[in-house]
Amino acid sequence: MKAPAPTIKAHRDPLVGETPPAPHERFDDEMVMDLERDQFVAETSRPVARATSALWALRVFVVLVSLMVIYTFVHQLR
Amino acid sequence: MASTEAAAAPGLALPPLTEEDLARSHDRSRVHHARRHRKRWYLLWLLVGPGILAMLGENDGPSMIAYASDGAQYGLGFFVPFIPVLFAMAYICQEMCMRVGAVTHRGYGELVLQRYGRVWGWFGAGDLTLTNLVTLVAEFVSIRVGLAYFHLGSGVAVVLGLALVAFTLSGGRYWRWERIVLGLALFNGLFLLAAILVKPDVGGIVGALDFTPFPGGSFNTLLLLLASTIGATVTPWMIFFQQSASADKGMTPSDVAHGRYDTAAGAVLAAIFGIGALVAGAALLTHNGSGIQGFAGAGFPEALKRVAGGAAGTVFALGLIEAGAVAILTISASTAYAAGECVGVSHSFNSSPGNAYVFYAANAGVALVAAVVILIPGAPLLSIALNANVLATVLLPVSLVFMVMLANDEGLMGRWVNKRSTNAIGIAVIAFVGLCGASYGIDSFLLSVHLIS
Repeated sequence: MKAPAPTIKAHRDPLVGETPPAPHERFDDEMVMDLERDQFVAETSRPVARATSALWALRVFVVLVSLMVIYTFVHQLR
Repeated sequence: MASTEAAAAPGLALPPLTEEDLARSHDRSRVHHARRHRKRWYLLWLLVGPGILAMLGENDGPSMIAYASDGAQYGLGFFVPFIPVLFAMAYICQEMCMRVGAVTHRGYGELVLQRYGRVWGWFGAGDLTLTNLVTLVAEFVSIRVGLAYFHLGSGVAVVLGLALVAFTLSGGRYWRWERIVLGLALFNGLFLLAAILVKPDVGGIVGALDFTPFPGGSFNTLLLLLASTIGATVTPWMIFFQQSASADKGMTPSDVAHGRYDTAAGAVLAAIFGIGALVAGAALLTHNGSGIQGFAGAGFPEALKRVAGGAAGTVFALGLIEAGAVAILTISASTAYAAGECVGVSHSFNSSPGNAYVFYAANAGVALVAAVVILIPGAPLLSIALNANVLATVLLPVSLVFMVMLANDEGLMGRWVNKRSTNAIGIAVIAFVGLCGASYGIDSFLLSVHLIS
């Protein structure tokens, strides 16, 4: 049987490879050993999905300011 | 990682347990017990920590000297109301960190790396490590300045700082680490005591609340003043620290209200103690206080001793030692969290050194390197200390932007995303802080290349 095509929700879901509810929605009422399910190391070790933000302005800012700051820092250390 | 398989509860598959889970579970059981039995004050006691530590950790040696220097050069006017305004801004930023940590149970570095890519994650962690290293050098210098008042040298400062790091790391639990550092941090109140000992004019302090007189001087001087004062209030390490510490403490969305009390209490205490340093410094305004700047020897404690008596000088010197020591612990911890999160290995005080070797090695290592630097004869300590803020100017705006993006990420935060009002205030604060920081960096560069004078 052919696997269903990924939905928009699956794309937006932060957890890789699966389509469980978002961290804040999962296991809200489940408490195991006084910890919420998503607090366990096994859960927090699962990576969250990559967001699709280009952040070009931030990149340009970082490159320009980094160069200036490194120059200033080295210059003032002399 | 140590793992224990335990029997699952009916209907629930128990995940593999680590020692970190077990320690956190123990802490959370006390929180749930207090909440069930409506022990409000005990619950508050259990949940305070990361917010107060972030705020009082930022009242570090260089910051307190910056406040005292402002007081000695310009008096109380403008700064008495400006410091609380800055800590109100810091509250806006830190509340978001706490909330993201409590809802996602993940640290800031980890989320940036996974959500926005490895380049941003490693850039943040790398710049944070460098900035923290430089700041830690300044903290050791601050301890040395305080100890110099008691005729003790750099060696004692290094031993004291490193012994504290080793002692706090030996607890094996987040809870123990937090309580020890919290106990030390409350001695930041020494600056308030110093202010009382200089017998200030209370009417003068109240009268300064109208933001006047505005400090004079050139644009560069004003920018430097604003940037150094803002740099003494909002820094990248606080963002990394509070989110990671909130997650490490085991906070959940049900603790967000208490997290806000914790952050607000930290902001209020830090503002009061910061004003304490300002008022103590202002006692030197008419006694050539403007001549005492930066880390010019043991200038402030000695000058206070001459003007206001030995007790004021002693308390101020002890305050500098405390401020430097607490900052060494919190800033080292923020470096350790960032390193562990980016490498993708265990990063918790609840893990043993054997399981979280990167975390513990980064924590002790960054403090050790900074300690070695201050022992190097002829090292440009003054330049390093004064330029810590310049380095932070690259990371601060970037960290603030990612923090707002995370706090608005519905995929991660769900109904805990920023409200419109929080976003409006938060973005305005971030724009102001980021603009001042970036302007400071650009201004310093233009001064270095002699394009402006």
